[in-house]
Amino acid sequence: MPVTRNNVLERKKTVSFFIFIAPWIFGFILFQLIPIMWGLYTSFTNRMAFTANLKFVGLANYIKHLTDVEILYSFGTTILYSVLHTSIAILMGFCLALMLEKKIWGRGIFRTLLYFPYMLPLIAVGWIFKIFLERDTGYLNIFLTKLGFISENIAWLSEFPLLSILSLSFWQAGWSMVIFLGGLSTIPESLYEAATIDGAGFLRKLRNIIIPLVSPFILFQFITSIVYSMQAFIQPYILNPRPIRGGALMKTIPPKETFFVMAKGYFYIITQFRFASGIALLWILFIIIMVVTFVFLKMGAFFVYSESDDR
Amino acid sequence: MYTLKKSNQDRIIKMVKLILLLILVIIFFAPLVSMLITSIKTRGELYIYPPVFFPEEAQWENYKKAWTMINYPKYLGNSIILALFYTIPCIMGSALAGYGFARFNVKSKRILFPVMLSTMMIPYMVTVIPLYLMLMKTGLVDKMFFWILWGIPGTPFLIFLFKQYFSTIPLSFEESARLDGAGRFQIFFKIMFPLVQTAVVIAAIFAFQWVWSDFLLPVLLLRGEKVNLAVRLATGYSDLKDNVLYNIGMAGILYYTLPIVILFFTLQKKFIAGLTAGGLKG
Repeated sequence: MPVTRNNVLERKKTVSFFIFIAPWIFGFILFQLIPIMWGLYTSFTNRMAFTANLKFVGLANYIKHLTDVEILYSFGTTILYSVLHTSIAILMGFCLALMLEKKIWGRGIFRTLLYFPYMLPLIAVGWIFKIFLERDTGYLNIFLTKLGFISENIAWLSEFPLLSILSLSFWQAGWSMVIFLGGLSTIPESLYEAATIDGAGFLRKLRNIIIPLVSPFILFQFITSIVYSMQAFIQPYILNPRPIRGGALMKTIPPKETFFVMAKGYFYIITQFRFASGIALLWILFIIIMVVTFVFLKMGAFFVYSESDDR
Repeated sequence: MYTLKKSNQDRIIKMVKLILLLILVIIFFAPLVSMLITSIKTRGELYIYPPVFFPEEAQWENYKKAWTMINYPKYLGNSIILALFYTIPCIMGSALAGYGFARFNVKSKRILFPVMLSTMMIPYMVTVIPLYLMLMKTGLVDKMFFWILWGIPGTPFLIFLFKQYFSTIPLSFEESARLDGAGRFQIFFKIMFPLVQTAVVIAAIFAFQWVWSDFLLPVLLLRGEKVNLAVRLATGYSDLKDNVLYNIGMAGILYYTLPIVILFFTLQKKFIAGLTAGGLKG
């Protein structure tokens, strides 16, 4: 290639580009690429905490997990939780955004208050819900009794473990509300006006304007929410109905309905020192997440509205 | 006549919306209220049946006990150190990379940007647990300065956020500075970075919230008295017989959430507006 002024400029630009993203590349290689590869390698071995003769065992760890009924059940509950969490977050967030988009009294305050619970650390939220849902002294039962909805206390944590953890999802809808508010703000006012002149009611506008134009945000929210909720691991331990003695939080196994894959992986690796087997479990979930993301991104390309047609 | 009817209908819809929103706020804040009430109960009132709504006498000393029972200042200090170590490099790293992705339309960018975004899909544990096992071998555990290194690369979400904000600044700003002989970094730090204050506020809140809440990394990499509040409070407060003390625990949790509450409510205007103003579109 002849050395032209354009080439030199392009090369100079590339160098500057890499200087600016150098910190990210440093982290990507050191904290993501290397550990991930090392983890993948380890999952093909028999590594425990103190393994005398490290052996390459091929796919044995993976096959063992995939033929274990308990593990498969755990995958089932993880996926069920993930789907329900995502649906709740998107539906709630979307409805909240619709209510809070237009001028309404106290709009800013409502936005702030409804977003706020999302900011609280998961550890705090877990404890708050644990005492809230407790059977005999929990305030949910106290409130429901006072309002006359129930006559006998319900043991939420032990009878509805999955539902208990899902109740946190309502609280975290603030995040998807903010994403959808951003999405709604991109719809030009003139579209609504034109639709009103054509005599379209709210439902028509929702179906023909709002949902198509917000669909990229729904897809974004859907994927990030699925990825996020598949990784839930601390919630089952904190909202564990089994009595927890002081300090033994991460050593008390949650009930099987909420013993999600990540919680199980953590238990295998950190509590039982079964490194290889635990990492293999995490990798199966990782592969599922990648497949789900890929499929939805591909499917999204058909359903999601886009300004440009050059896809 | 028609317009009158129309505005009446509008008013009714607005009222219904308001009532719905109020009910939602009440539902959202009920657990928080129950936390506050629980934190001033006595131990006996925690287990009494039928339960009492309000404690007979507010036990404010629970808040003192929460502070002294577990050497709270020590863990609070740890959390603050980790937060500072992480948040500042994280903002800088994200801004630098965001600027790089926003302003240099070179071939490598078109490959690396999707790669960077797709790292958002990597489960946290898949990277952190092997990292921990590797660090254990090298003896690098139990070092708080690790959080600086952990912050430097920024996070994909914040890089994306900064990229969106930098993209909205007209190119002419930089060009005139370049004509005056300013270098790339001078332009970045003197002109561009101060122009994306909103993004900095959002990034600061996110990074702080993230490191303040993070449980996994500290529980793996820190030991004993070096752990942060998230790890210490996860196991809660218990008496000598290992019974969990919810009332004191709730007081401890309240202290723990306070910095986030304060940070969020002082900066919320910029934060919510910045997030919802279509800053994330793209």
